[in-house]
Amino acid sequence: MALTMEETWGQFKTFEGAKFEVLDPNFTREVSGLIGGQDLTACFQCAKCSAGCPVSDKVNIQVHELMRMLLFGLKEVLQTDMVWLCTTCYTCQERCPQGISITDIIFGLKNMAFRRGIAPPGYLAARKGLYDTGRLYEPTDWEREDLGLDEVPEFDINDIRKMFDKTGLMKLEEE
Amino acid sequence: MTEQYEVFLGCAIPNRFNNYESSMRAVAEALDIELLDFEGASCCGTVVLKSIDETSWLAMSGRNIALAESRGHDIVTPCNGCYGSLRDVDHVLHENEEHRETVNQVLKTIGLEYKGETRIRHFVEVLYDLRDKIREKIVRPLEGLRIAFHPGCHLIRPSTVAGFDDPELPHKVDELLELTGAVSVPWTLKLRCCGSPLLIASEDVANRILQEKMISAREAGANCVVTNCPACHTQFDVQALGLTDEDGNSLELPALFVTQVLGLAMGLDPETLGLEMNRVPLDPIAEILGI
Repeated sequence: MALTMEETWGQFKTFEGAKFEVLDPNFTREVSGLIGGQDLTACFQCAKCSAGCPVSDKVNIQVHELMRMLLFGLKEVLQTDMVWLCTTCYTCQERCPQGISITDIIFGLKNMAFRRGIAPPGYLAARKGLYDTGRLYEPTDWEREDLGLDEVPEFDINDIRKMFDKTGLMKLEEE
Repeated sequence: MTEQYEVFLGCAIPNRFNNYESSMRAVAEALDIELLDFEGASCCGTVVLKSIDETSWLAMSGRNIALAESRGHDIVTPCNGCYGSLRDVDHVLHENEEHRETVNQVLKTIGLEYKGETRIRHFVEVLYDLRDKIREKIVRPLEGLRIAFHPGCHLIRPSTVAGFDDPELPHKVDELLELTGAVSVPWTLKLRCCGSPLLIASEDVANRILQEKMISAREAGANCVVTNCPACHTQFDVQALGLTDEDGNSLELPALFVTQVLGLAMGLDPETLGLEMNRVPLDPIAEILGI
């Protein structure tokens, strides 16, 4: 059963009737430059990645199809649901007979999609939370008191913001 | 000799699984593992920040590693997410000079430097080294406990980064759990992701993955699920509340942390182990646990 989505992401739903105007070798090169992206051309479409993937039966576009789109330089890959529904479990990467760092490549695709404004809203909120507080979740003090646990050690949020100002975390879309 | 680590808690444990921390501390104390506070620790960034911007993620986890390093300490964490993130960043910064330079440029603005000399371990890894000592301390066997043990992904994969156990046939934590007299049952979807990283993108898909997992655990005849990660535990002890199969049958199973199971068998105080804070009722196994 495929997903139907109203979100900005996951809009590329099927190859059927799809027309691709551009096969962009620069896009393929860009992806090859990602963390783990160097072995892209080694994929021979055995689909072992999709066989072990926990969301294969829940997405419109499966991992091995995503890999082929990368090789063909199809930027539409950034609009597939496979990008943001990858659970990051690393099963595909662990099992790939060609040693391709598939999961790490998908992380890179998420980065590229995020810069283009294609991401689930939860990620925008998480970015703001990390910048504002340096944490994803705040401690629950009453529970800690009940268990006799000390307070969680402090840190200087200004250090975190200094780093993120330098990496441009809050301005990724402007690049 | 006493082992000493700075303990990296991450965000999820102090937020919703303080019982994991208290049970970890109790077990550590009983085994003479010294856990030092990790002053200045922020979030590790985890797969969330890695998904948004890898450079920021490298800097965020890089800063945490550099902090422990500046104090000459090794790091231990009870969270798969933190373990995966810290190990992964450590791996990238070791392998890739360009990334290391970039990160050190960023860290320079706050007076730190990543050198790559600190060891990053998961708490279960430390426990596995002490298994002979644990065996000697079992005073209250948990006969009848049939555990569906969920190792989680980032403890074992990618093996080039994690390297703690066999990525396809992990057995080390199962060995620990079976020291208590419990059985770690084989179950078809044991190695499958719990789905928790998808809670931020699609709760529906996350729940469907959890549903498949729980059906598999039920089919294996397990009477509880055990984890070593607060992110996975969120699925089994929070999201699973009220979860049913297609016929409306409950899929809830008591969910315990590995440190709670070991702690009980070692005769530690159930209150200290925080068992009252487990959300899925423990009633069906209360007698086995002696609570």
